[in-house]
Amino acid sequence: MWTIAKLTFKEIVSKRIFLITMMMTAVFLILYGVAIHYAVKDWKSFGASTVDQMMQQQLFSSQLLSIGLYFSSFIVALLSILSSVSAIASEIDSHQIDTWLMRPITRTQFLFGKVIGLGGLLIAYAAFLFAGIIILHQGIGGEVVSLDFSISQIVSASATYMLQPLVLVTLGVMLSSRMTTLNAGIVLIILYGSAFIGGFVEQIGTIMEKGALVNIGIISSLIFPVDAMYRKMTVFLFDTADNPVSLAQQGMFASASAPNNVMILYTIMYGCIALAVAIILFRKRDV
Amino acid sequence: MNVMEAKGLTKTYNGQAGIRNVSLEIEEGMVYGFLGPNGAGKSTFVRTMLGLLNPTSGEGKILGKPIGTPESREKVGYLPELFRYPDWLTGRKLLESHAELCKVPIRERKKRIDEVVDLVGMTGRDKEKIKGYSKGMSQRIGLACALINDPKLIFLDEPTSALDPIGRKDVRDLMLHLKDQGKTIFLNSHLLNEVESVCDHVSIVHKSELIVQGKWRELMMVEAQVEIMSSAKAESTKLDFPDFVRNVERKEAVNGRSKALYQLKREEDIPRLVDFLANHKLPIYEVTPVIPHLEDVFMHWVNEKERRYVDHR
Ligand SMILES: Nc1ncnc2c1ncn2[C@@H]1O[C@H](COP(=O)(O)OP(=O)(O)OP(=O)(O)O)[C@@H](O)[C@H]1O
Ligand SMILES: [Mg+2]
Repeated sequence: MWTIAKLTFKEIVSKRIFLITMMMTAVFLILYGVAIHYAVKDWKSFGASTVDQMMQQQLFSSQLLSIGLYFSSFIVALLSILSSVSAIASEIDSHQIDTWLMRPITRTQFLFGKVIGLGGLLIAYAAFLFAGIIILHQGIGGEVVSLDFSISQIVSASATYMLQPLVLVTLGVMLSSRMTTLNAGIVLIILYGSAFIGGFVEQIGTIMEKGALVNIGIISSLIFPVDAMYRKMTVFLFDTADNPVSLAQQGMFASASAPNNVMILYTIMYGCIALAVAIILFRKRDV
Repeated sequence: MNVMEAKGLTKTYNGQAGIRNVSLEIEEGMVYGFLGPNGAGKSTFVRTMLGLLNPTSGEGKILGKPIGTPESREKVGYLPELFRYPDWLTGRKLLESHAELCKVPIRERKKRIDEVVDLVGMTGRDKEKIKGYSKGMSQRIGLACALINDPKLIFLDEPTSALDPIGRKDVRDLMLHLKDQGKTIFLNSHLLNEVESVCDHVSIVHKSELIVQGKWRELMMVEAQVEIMSSAKAESTKLDFPDFVRNVERKEAVNGRSKALYQLKREEDIPRLVDFLANHKLPIYEVTPVIPHLEDVFMHWVNEKERRYVDHR
């Protein structure tokens, strides 16, 4: 199992797509840093004195951070999808899998190896991005935009953030153990896209107080709970008990309607079930 | 104990083709040839034995363990016919990974890898990426991979398909070497001469069915054929051949020598024919037994089987 995990990890790292992603990530982080730098420079010249301005400043700052996190979670999701849908299907296509599976390991071990390898890599990547954005935001932004986060806020937010690639990987591997790479990719992208749009619809619905829209959003996050996890993450990060106005509830990338904690449990269950289905499908399959 | 056995093993693809109802037993140290034309079901059988395909019915055992379990694959090596290895790895890293999966003790790994790399003639190239290997080199590294865990039973599915004549000879020598070490080899092939020099037992598969199995000599000498070179002049005399000569096919004369192909009933008829010709004062320059074409052998056993089937009714 660990051998397969190690190989899977190394394989992705050795691929060009990973190199490109890393380069794009670097570009993104640099751009983000530059953007914050200039935003803060403008802001500083105003200065904040009244309570109202203080509030505005905090809101502005949380918006900046949300944008960064939103986009980064999108990159993580994309990398998760691209790397997981081919995990099994492409190896079956090329018959590479034959010589691995004829070794004294079970199919379940092989599958777990794949998920651990992919999941490990993506968690590491997500952690890196998350930390990078927070550090850039707090560091370059300096006093002006810095928000007070407690350790527990950071921990629970980043854990929720990392749940997203994990769910994508388990589902991707599940699809990949039954379908071709292309079909699995299409299905997963459609699922991800609808969760994405469902999320927006739900936010709009909440603001406009349209129940139907909210329900669409809820259903879409039940079908695929990645977007809900992003929303949950912003709630963890921005909401503090003593803050009268929820920062999480402001703006496009934030969460006007907050998923509750059951949703986290649901997401974890979702991943586990996807994994179980993957094992059942893969064990019976002729390769 | 049998190294490998199958009882009524069947694998069909949606009820079609594949391989049907194979029963066989292979003892330790045998080199077993699984012979059949393209599409006969050879690869299907091997892949089912290795648990890559789920059998439709029947059962199989490797080293006493039921197929499909990890235990059954512990002491097994396999070279697939469509060999593809992760091309981003080096040959050596590939072997290391396989050694790890087979739980070769860490201390022995390096030595073991050096051994198999040397055995397949890849010394010096093993640190290159597989991406840069030629097809023949990939097949060699595949062979090394099949041997990394010092297996008792080795499945080779057309192991020389990508090799040049020298490579083919190397593989034949390698198989003989493994045979000397007491390994059991299961060789899939459609080339008679590949099987001939190494296999003691063979089975013949044709259109998804195992038609016959037994010792190589017994199966191949279904009809003895000899080519006899004589002088062109002598040939012109029409002889009245005895019964055991089924057919005589004359070939054109070159340089005053003529050749004829004699089809006999059995191998023992060869000396009788030579006697007969000598008694009739025919000068004999050369007697060459002719190995029949695989197709002929197939057809012989296919017909035989059908005849027996009719007889049994
Ligand atoms: N995945 C599959 N789906 C459907 N039919 C298949 C599949 N694989 C093989 N077959 C069929 O099963 C039969 C046996 O195929 P197999 O590959 O075992 O033959 P083979 O004896 O190994 O032939 P070759 O000498 O060409 O390697 C063929 O008729 C083939 O068409
Ligand atoms: Mg084959």
